[in-house]
Amino acid sequence: MGSPEIKITVKLIGPFVNQIGFSEKVLSFPDGATVETVLSSLPLDPKRPKIVTRNGQAVASGEKLKDGDRLAISPIYSGG
Amino acid sequence: MYGWTGNILRINLTNRTHKVEHFDEEFARKWVGGRGFALKILWDELKPGIDPLGPENKLIVAVGPIAGVPAPNTGKTVVAAKSPLTGGYGDGNLGTRVTEQMRKAGYDAIIIEGKSDSPIYLYIEDDKVEYLPADEIWGRGTYDTHNWLYKKYGKGAGVLSIGQGGENMNLYAMVRSLEGRAGGRPGIGAVMGSKKLKAIVIKGSKPIPVADPEGMRKLGLEDLRKVGEIDKKTGWSIQGTTGVLAWCNEVAALPVHNMRKTHHPEAWRIDGERLNNARVATYGCPNCTMRCGITILDREGRESELDYENIGMLGSNLDIFELDQVASLNYLCDDYGLDTISAGGTLAFYADAIEQGAIKGDFRFGDAEMAKKLLGMAARREGEVGNLLADGSLRMARQIGHNSEAYAMQVKGLEISAYNCKFIPGMALAFGTSPIGAHHKESWVITYELKQSQRDSYGPEKAAKVIELQRIRGGLFEFIVACRFPWIELGWELEHYAEYFNKTTGLNWTLDDFWKVADRIYALMKFFWVREFPFWDRTRDYPPMIWFDPKNADTEGPIAGKYLELDKYNQLLDYYYEQRGWDKRGIPTRKTAEALGLKQEADEVEKFTRLE
Ligand code: SF4
Repeated sequence: MGSPEIKITVKLIGPFVNQIGFSEKVLSFPDGATVETVLSSLPLDPKRPKIVTRNGQAVASGEKLKDGDRLAISPIYSGG
Repeated sequence: MYGWTGNILRINLTNRTHKVEHFDEEFARKWVGGRGFALKILWDELKPGIDPLGPENKLIVAVGPIAGVPAPNTGKTVVAAKSPLTGGYGDGNLGTRVTEQMRKAGYDAIIIEGKSDSPIYLYIEDDKVEYLPADEIWGRGTYDTHNWLYKKYGKGAGVLSIGQGGENMNLYAMVRSLEGRAGGRPGIGAVMGSKKLKAIVIKGSKPIPVADPEGMRKLGLEDLRKVGEIDKKTGWSIQGTTGVLAWCNEVAALPVHNMRKTHHPEAWRIDGERLNNARVATYGCPNCTMRCGITILDREGRESELDYENIGMLGSNLDIFELDQVASLNYLCDDYGLDTISAGGTLAFYADAIEQGAIKGDFRFGDAEMAKKLLGMAARREGEVGNLLADGSLRMARQIGHNSEAYAMQVKGLEISAYNCKFIPGMALAFGTSPIGAHHKESWVITYELKQSQRDSYGPEKAAKVIELQRIRGGLFEFIVACRFPWIELGWELEHYAEYFNKTTGLNWTLDDFWKVADRIYALMKFFWVREFPFWDRTRDYPPMIWFDPKNADTEGPIAGKYLELDKYNQLLDYYYEQRGWDKRGIPTRKTAEALGLKQEADEVEKFTRLE
């Protein structure tokens, strides 16, 4: 048996869709994964400001995730 | 004087005369241009209480000192008048070749007064003004109108026109240019129509007065290139403004079902990704290297250029999740010359009122075909329903009663743009205090609220942020006149604009100088409203009451059970007024006005109400 895993739905927003190559996907991470674990697993420019929401609420990068969480990763829009 | 031509062209349509008037450097420095010029002219020249659709109202077309100069996104022009929709100050900006042509013709502003006795259009070429019959284009949509005029005057001409909406004085009729969608949400197109003015064509051949023409040219072209590069690198224009739709859906800020809902499982069908995949062309305003006009084919096979507001208000807010149908509704609004935001908001209110039993009718949420018909009826004021719809949601609510005003989603009569603030206090404040009625262009604080602050905070930091953004977006970009997108979407620093301004005018301004002008303009806009509505009180800065209703709270999702709290909103409003130096009613105090150089204006407003 491998270590327990959690499943996270990752939703990418705006140009991140084209840059990373998918729009929405369920990905597996080791139990105890944080927002940062997910972010660093994706080829995102770490210097680019982003807004990350977990189940619709803004989260800090150190926050631990739970199985079934939905993480939306968006560039910072400043409004049309 | 550099940066400004110093000339205002005054055209009287009643007797078909015109003259050129001059302003001095003091006026230029005090009001800078665009919104600043338009506001000050309207304040000085309009008698309070006039009928916005009568000959006494004036239509102002105004540019700013960097408008038309080659530099990032300087192709914008401001159109303004007393608004027939709100009864207060109304304006809007739009990307158009008029910007450059007007400056080359030698004008910083055009004042159009009086009323023609038959449909006409204006042809302005340098010092010449012609009043030409518009019989062949009157009654036609903006696409036909523009193409007819382009055939006559060439594609390089600057053209502003109205469609059937403006002609029939639909109260949210806009002014249209083919290069940058439309501008003048609070019915500026209706004002044009009331004057029987179908279009303005303008061409110029003079140099734009720039203090350092070589330096500005080099810098401007270089910066246009750089902005284009940043756009490519960040990929912003892949989805343009529509990228935000998927995000609003995630965070429960999407307008759905007349804003009764904040997200929808089918929203992905109309999001920026689907839009980009369906793209057949891209259009943009003049002087822009990050063109955001994503164009797709609508259900009828016509090209339709969409942005986020269009999709949010004509799509999700009406429960329409077929992108080509949303594109059709958008095309019709553009062709009739109607504001997509108010059109979507008004149709959604109508569907809601029917659902609530406040009025009888056949329109249901999700019925795109019926929505198409209703837009035509609203544009032409056809029958009782067409007339009702043509007046916007607030007037409609007042006519139908049954407490429907609570869910007429507007502030000061202008429909709320596509951000559902059921539980976003700062953005609700931004809509509440927007000086032309609920418009997102003045201040947009949602990402700030969700990232750097707490969503449920009603603290002074939110009021401060709203003011900071109003100074930049509703101030700086509206009076130097440039598109705000390089700054807001690509992080192109504001200091660049000070540099363009200084190279153009020969002055040496810092950003603080701009903020002072912005505060002056905001104070005078408020005075304009107060002069029209002397019993002014803070409730006019409230969003619709349904946002304060616990029964309206979402029952599931990220903001389940949450709603805006009225006493806390009032506290937020107090912070806002205090920071602006306005009294508890939301009126600038005499001290504030005088510190902003508005003594005369304060004396004038005191004829109507006492200042603190
Ligand atoms: S970014 Fe869009 S709105 Fe702004 S100037 Fe370019 S095309 Fe026009």
